[in-house]
Amino acid sequence: MTSTVPAPAPPAAEQPTRTAPTSLAPTGRGLLRRARWYLAFLAVLLIGAVTVVALGRDREYPTIDPRSYDRDGAHAAYALLEQQGLATRLTTDPTAHPAGPDTLVLPEPDLLTPDQLRAIAAARHTRLVLIAPGPTALSALAPGIRSSEEDGGLPYAPVRPANAGCSLPEAVRAGDAETGGMLYTSGSRGEGCYPRGHGYALVRTPLDDGTRDVVVLGSGVFLQNGELTVAGNASLALGLLGSQPALTWHLPDYSVPLPKAAHPKTFGDFVPDGWHWALRQLAVAAVLAALWRGRRLGPVVSENLPVVVRASETTEGRARLYRRAKAHGRAAQALRRAAAHRLAPALGVPLRAGAPDPDALCAALADRHPEQSAGDVRALLYGPPPTDDAALLRLADDLDALERQVRNP
Amino acid sequence: MALTGRTALLAALGALVVGLLLPSWTGIALVTGTVLLAVVVDLVLAAPVRSLRLGRGGDTRVRLGEPASVELTVTNPSGRPLRALIRDAWAPSAWRPGTAHAASRHTLAVPGGERRRAVTVLTPTRRGDHHAHKVTIRSLGPLGMAARQGSHLLPWTVRALPPFTSRKHLPSRLARLRELDGRTSLLTRGQGTEFDSLREYLPGDDVRSIDWRASARRHTVAVRTWRPERDRHILIVLDTGRTSAGRVGDAPRLDAALDAALLLTALATRAGDRVDLLAHDTRKRGAVVGSSPREILPAFTDAMAGLEPALNETDMRSLVSTALKMAPHRSLIVLLTGLDAAPVEDGLRPLLPLLTKRHEVVLASVADPRLDELAAGRGTLEAVYGAAAAEQTRADRRATADRLSRNNVTVLDAPPAQIAPALADTYLALKAAGRL
Repeated sequence: MTSTVPAPAPPAAEQPTRTAPTSLAPTGRGLLRRARWYLAFLAVLLIGAVTVVALGRDREYPTIDPRSYDRDGAHAAYALLEQQGLATRLTTDPTAHPAGPDTLVLPEPDLLTPDQLRAIAAARHTRLVLIAPGPTALSALAPGIRSSEEDGGLPYAPVRPANAGCSLPEAVRAGDAETGGMLYTSGSRGEGCYPRGHGYALVRTPLDDGTRDVVVLGSGVFLQNGELTVAGNASLALGLLGSQPALTWHLPDYSVPLPKAAHPKTFGDFVPDGWHWALRQLAVAAVLAALWRGRRLGPVVSENLPVVVRASETTEGRARLYRRAKAHGRAAQALRRAAAHRLAPALGVPLRAGAPDPDALCAALADRHPEQSAGDVRALLYGPPPTDDAALLRLADDLDALERQVRNP
Repeated sequence: MALTGRTALLAALGALVVGLLLPSWTGIALVTGTVLLAVVVDLVLAAPVRSLRLGRGGDTRVRLGEPASVELTVTNPSGRPLRALIRDAWAPSAWRPGTAHAASRHTLAVPGGERRRAVTVLTPTRRGDHHAHKVTIRSLGPLGMAARQGSHLLPWTVRALPPFTSRKHLPSRLARLRELDGRTSLLTRGQGTEFDSLREYLPGDDVRSIDWRASARRHTVAVRTWRPERDRHILIVLDTGRTSAGRVGDAPRLDAALDAALLLTALATRAGDRVDLLAHDTRKRGAVVGSSPREILPAFTDAMAGLEPALNETDMRSLVSTALKMAPHRSLIVLLTGLDAAPVEDGLRPLLPLLTKRHEVVLASVADPRLDELAAGRGTLEAVYGAAAAEQTRADRRATADRLSRNNVTVLDAPPAQIAPALADTYLALKAAGRL
C-alpha cells in the first residue's frame, strides 16, 4: 500500500503583508528581459548600417564634380573630353604649373585662398575657366571683368536656354545653350556672351598678348550630366573646355571655410568673450532644469468614466424638432391639454382618461368666472390651432392668465 | 533618478564663475563636473527606495462624499536616513476635485531602521471600488540635489458606498410606523392583518368588529382588534438599464433609486419585514437574499456600491422571471424603473399580470425637475416650444402611469429629493391598509 506524505508546509512568514517586497523597481535581469527585443532590434539595425556602409561605394559628390554620375554631376562632360583625346587630370592642388598649353577649370574659385589665387595667376595656364567667381577671384584671375551688380545691373538671372549673341566661336557653334546664374560685365577687352539685362552669363577676356584667356561662367549647369543633352550644352562644354590639348579640373576642398568678408559689427561683437562662455554654461543649467521639471513623480493615473446623459435630453430634442418643423398646432395642443389637466381639479371637474370633458370644463369655468365670455374661453382651450409663432406665444400667455384667474380669484 | 531645482540653480550660478574667471571649455567642464559630482554623491548617499518596506491600513469603506483615511507605513531598513517625497496615487475620482495633487503627496523623514506613517485622505466622488495605484517614492540625498526614485505597488481598495442621504427621513417614518405597528391596533381586517387581541367595546368602535362569542363568555361586549401582519416579504427590484443612466440634476437616476431603496429597507426592517434586493438589466447584476435584520443595511449598501447603469435596454422578461423566482410567496414587489412610454408599454405591461396575480406591486420612477423648469418657460419662442415638449413628455408619463394603475400597480413618480420619502410613505400606507 502506498501513501503520499504531504510535504511539510514552509514556515509562514511572520508578517507576510508587511514584509513582502512591494517595489516595482526592475532588477538587472528583469530589465534585460524587458529590453531584449529592443536590443535585438538595435543590433540588427547596427549590423545593417555597418554592412551598407562597408559595401556601399556610393559617395556623395558636390555638384559639377567630374567623378559624379548623378544628374548634377559632370562625369559625362569629363568623359567626352577624355574621348576627344585630351590629357585630362583631376587635381586638388590648382597651383601646379602646367607642362604645356592647357585649360584649368575652377568650379569654386571663391574657396581658394589669396595665395592660391596668386599662384594660379602666376602659373600662366592657357585658358582659365571660372564658374561663378566672386570679386576676389575675379580681380586676381580675370582683370577687367566685374560682377554685373557692381555696375548697377542685375546680379543674377535664372538659367535658361539662350542665344549666344556674340561672336565667340565656341558659343556661335553651340547655338542655344543653358546659361544664366551670376552676371558679369565684359570690361574693355573682354567679350560678353548670352546677355541678360546689362550683364553677360559668359565673358571671355584675353590675357597678356592674347595667347591666353580667361572664361568666366555665370553657372555650370550646362556641364551637368542631366543637362548635357539639352540644346547646345554639350557643344558649348566641349568647345570651352576642349580648346587645349590638356585639361586640369580642380576638385575644390569644401571643408575650407569661406574667406571672411568684412561685415558690420553686430551686438554680439560688443559682448566680452567671457560671457559667450557663460551663456554656454547657462545652456547646461537649462538642460539640468529641464531634467528637473521633466521628471514625473509616478505615472498619470487613468480611469474609465461613465457616460453622462441628461435625462431631459430627449425632451429638449423634441422641443427643437417642434421648432424646426414649426409645429404650432402640436405645441398648442400639448399646452392646452396640460392647462385643462391642471384646471379640472381646481374646478372640481372629474378627469376621464386623463382629460376633463370639454363641455363640463367650459361650463365650470363659465360658472366661476361669468365675466368672461364663454366663447372666448372655449376658443382658448379648444379652438383652432394657432397659425404662426406670435399666435402660439399669445396662446401660452393667455392660458397662463386663465390659470392664474382660476387659482387666485 | 531625479534632479532638484538646486542642481539647475547651482549650474546657473556657475555661469558667473565661467564668465568672470574661466571663460573656456575648461571652465564649463569644471563647473558642470562639480555639479555632476555633487549629483553622484547625492545619489550614492540617498537612502535606497527598492529595499523600503511599505504597508497599508485604514478605511476600506466610506459613504460617498465623506473622507476616508488610508495609512501608508514606510519602514526604512537601511542605515541611511530617508528624506522622501511620496506620491500615493489613486484614480482621479477618489479625490475631491482640485485637491488631488496636494492630497496625494507626502513629505516624510524616516531615520534609518525606523518606521513612519503617512495618512492619505481620500474623498471619493464616485460610488464603487477605488483601487490604489502605485506609490512613488523620491528619496533625496543629503545635499538635496538629486534623488533616487522608484515605485511600489500596494493593493488597497476603498469602497465608496451609496450616501443614503434620505436617512434624515427615517425618524419621522419610524414614528409613523410605531403608530401603526402593534401599539395601535386596527379595527378593520385586511389581507395583510393578523388577529391581535380582544378588548372591551368603547363607544365609537365599529359594531361590525364585536365578537359575539367572546362577549357571551365575558358578560361585557368585546371587540376584536387586528394589527398589520409582521414578517412580510418585500422584494426591491432595481432596473439598472439605460433609463437609469439619465442624469437628473447632478447624479444618474439610479443613485436616487438606490437612496429610496435604502430608506425603504431601513424602515421595513424595523417594521419586522424581510427585504430582498435584485438589480437587473440584461442580466442579473446583483442580489441580496435573506439577510438578518442586523446586517441587511451593510449588505445592501455593499451590493449597491458597485452598481453602474448599463447602457442597454433592460430585458423585462428575464427581470420579471428572476423576481418571481425570488418571491415565491405573496410579497410587496417594488420596481424602481423608468416611466418612459416605450419600454414600459412594450416590455413591462404585458408581463404585469404575472406579478400582480400574487403580489402587491409598486412602481417607483424618478421624475426630472428639469421638465418642470422647461414647462414653466415662456416669453421666447424657444421657451414655449420647450414648454410644449415638456408638457407632452409629462402627459405621456401620466398616461403610462394611468395605464399601470389600471393594472393594480401603485405608481410613484417623484423628483430625486422626494422619491425616497414618497416610497416610504407608500409602504406605510399599504401596511396600514393591510395590503401587504
